[in-house]
Amino acid sequence: MRQVLHIFKKDVRHLWFEIAVAMTVVAAFTFTGARRALWLVDPATNRIAAWTLVMILLPLAWWTLIARVIHDEVLPGDSQFWITRPYSWRSLVGAKALFILAFISLPMLLADGVIVRAYGFPLEGELSGLLWSQVLLAIVFVLPIAALSALTTGFVQLIFAILTPCVIALGVAIVAPELVLGGFLGGSDWVKTYYVFLLISVAASGILVWQYSMRRTAAARSLAVAAGILAVLGMTLIPWSAAFRIQSWLSKRRVDQSLVRVDFDSGSRWLTRAVIEGDDRVRVELPVNITGLPAGMIAKPEGFSVHLQAPDGAMWQADQLPLRIASKMGHKFSLEATVDGAFYRRVKDEPLKVRGSLYMTLLGNRRTVRVPFGDRFVHVPRVGVCSASGGANRQSYFLICSSAFRFPPVLVSYRFIESAKEAVQDVWSSSEPRRAISYSPFPAELGISPVSQDFTFSTVPLPLSEAMVDTVEPLAHIRRNLEIDNLRLGDFEVRPAPVSP
Amino acid sequence: MTDILRAIDLSKRFRKTVVLDHLNMSVPEHSVYGLVGPNGAGKTTTIKILMNARQPTEGLTEVFGHDSRKLSPEDFTQIGYVSENQQMPDWMTVEYFMNYLRPFYPGWDAARAENLLRQFELPPDRKIRNLSHGMRMKAALASSLAYRPRLIVLDEPFTGLDALVRDELIEGVLGCADGATILISSHDLSEVESFASHIGYLDRGRLQFSEEMTSLVDRFREIEITLANPSQSSISWPATWLNTEQSAAVVRFVDTQFDPERTIAEVHHLFGNTHQISVNPMPLRAIFVTLAKAGRRAA
Repeated sequence: MRQVLHIFKKDVRHLWFEIAVAMTVVAAFTFTGARRALWLVDPATNRIAAWTLVMILLPLAWWTLIARVIHDEVLPGDSQFWITRPYSWRSLVGAKALFILAFISLPMLLADGVIVRAYGFPLEGELSGLLWSQVLLAIVFVLPIAALSALTTGFVQLIFAILTPCVIALGVAIVAPELVLGGFLGGSDWVKTYYVFLLISVAASGILVWQYSMRRTAAARSLAVAAGILAVLGMTLIPWSAAFRIQSWLSKRRVDQSLVRVDFDSGSRWLTRAVIEGDDRVRVELPVNITGLPAGMIAKPEGFSVHLQAPDGAMWQADQLPLRIASKMGHKFSLEATVDGAFYRRVKDEPLKVRGSLYMTLLGNRRTVRVPFGDRFVHVPRVGVCSASGGANRQSYFLICSSAFRFPPVLVSYRFIESAKEAVQDVWSSSEPRRAISYSPFPAELGISPVSQDFTFSTVPLPLSEAMVDTVEPLAHIRRNLEIDNLRLGDFEVRPAPVSP
Repeated sequence: MTDILRAIDLSKRFRKTVVLDHLNMSVPEHSVYGLVGPNGAGKTTTIKILMNARQPTEGLTEVFGHDSRKLSPEDFTQIGYVSENQQMPDWMTVEYFMNYLRPFYPGWDAARAENLLRQFELPPDRKIRNLSHGMRMKAALASSLAYRPRLIVLDEPFTGLDALVRDELIEGVLGCADGATILISSHDLSEVESFASHIGYLDRGRLQFSEEMTSLVDRFREIEITLANPSQSSISWPATWLNTEQSAAVVRFVDTQFDPERTIAEVHHLFGNTHQISVNPMPLRAIFVTLAKAGRRAA
């Protein structure tokens, strides 16, 4: 420990200027972040610009600090004075880790705490999110740069090491975006993200330990390249059905879903469509009915996997994500699947066997919280804090909801209420849930800003009294199979009307 | 005498370039071992492998009797290493550099450190980046002698230094050696011949010889023979004779294993009667030139 502190003190003495710059940026982040709670309703361009600038400068300040402190004892090469001195590699790693904790993690922990408090969140209730967000920041912003710094001899090499994969990824993203990011998995997208987090943690920690203990730069660089390739492959290749299985496995089942069924809605058979689209594809729409839901619950379809099998054994599989729903009425949905044109032409007049799986989330425990107009914060359970205000001349009304450290784990929708009526009446409401939902079981998501916000407004020329926030909670993630026999797609063929010039 | 450093069948290749080729070498305790050889012979690579700064392709090196790949911080408290191309913490002042290193070494002698700074006339408050090359070498050496190391390893320490600074460094090293083993590499024999007790000659990754200076000087002789009956018949030269030259009546060669009785007997066996045999001792420089030429011819 004595050697750890000795090296740490040397690093502080050497890098005092970089530390001072980083602390100034963190202070600016804290100040603008905390002030942001007050001026969101009336955003001024210069304030937004200041916040944006701070959000850009903060990671740059961290990365500079990390690179400088690690490059103070460069690892690749054989000419550094320290490698023939009695340095213990554990002490060296310990000193660097202590430096990063002291000048990156701890200041961010305090800054996030101050900002979250300024938004009206009780700190004790957000402690797990506060700590977990520091873990995520360390995984994404600290570990990779620390590992790359351990593989490089200086700033120029480091920038090259950062830019090369970025340029390659950008090139691939332009040509084939799905190869870099894969599909968006909705509320279960966190599974893919955490796969990458896990990979970064393992690879970067491995590289750091390997480099500090053995200094085998060539092998460690190969490990870094392999980890990068695995990350991209994982993002691309993790099937959404696997993500939902993981989601389903991790979720607590708090509802009896044994009676829930999904069937082909034969009563609405006429809703079936085989729409001939351009570029040799056919969009098949299948009406399904979800039954057996416990009282007060709704089903949110998430993904649809379908096999179409012809009598001769020819088969087509469609994995539909993001799920497209052609129409929706209560618990009746018309689900879409894309079929290859050649396959369709070959089998359209034959009786097909259709085997599908619908992945869905069951939501319940609806709650409504009233948010009166005024400047005070109202605590909305599972969402965060909301405040509503009437704008100039009582003609425009605002509602802002802030969530600490993560998207709400519930579906949220908003309404405004007219005060003149005796009965509460919605004068405006969002037809669909407003905010992105994440089913992640973790208390925080990755983000430099500790608070995410949603903002809505009404310009109805009526005196409004208050806003309402409705939430429904995901209670189970389930999969149900459905079977349809003897479906002749040709009977439901639809050709889009030609567009008149 | 125990060997402090050993290289056993050591090889190092950089892609297809062979830098060290099955090198075997040992440095006895308390010796001053001069590892000499031309530029690119593999001296620095050997030392870097010994110091665990590089990894061998094959073979093994030992320091203090154990594998140098496992050199611990405790081992390094007994090793003073100075290299011509060492990267120093340029931002530190000389004084801060010494103070920074001090807690790493249980045997750090503050009085000696101070003496060394004075002896080398090092300005304590000057940053290392502002020191001349000679001053930097002195700072590196002072920081490596202050804790009385058991082993001092100097890799080309005199390159680019003027004679005065070189003498100061030698004086400093020898004055503080206290019986330590010293391994010093150089491409210039004259830099080490005055104080080395042992010498190893490395060329193209192979150790051509390694022995005590006294025995080396004893076994090399330049021999000139005037033949009584000149003959043109081809002669099978003994392997220990180098740089052989023959004119009609005169034969010259360097005997690398000179022994008065055996050498004279061999001469008579090969040439019969002779008018004259002149045997001359060789200066160290001439021995090296002979070996270098012979090595190149063989290659």
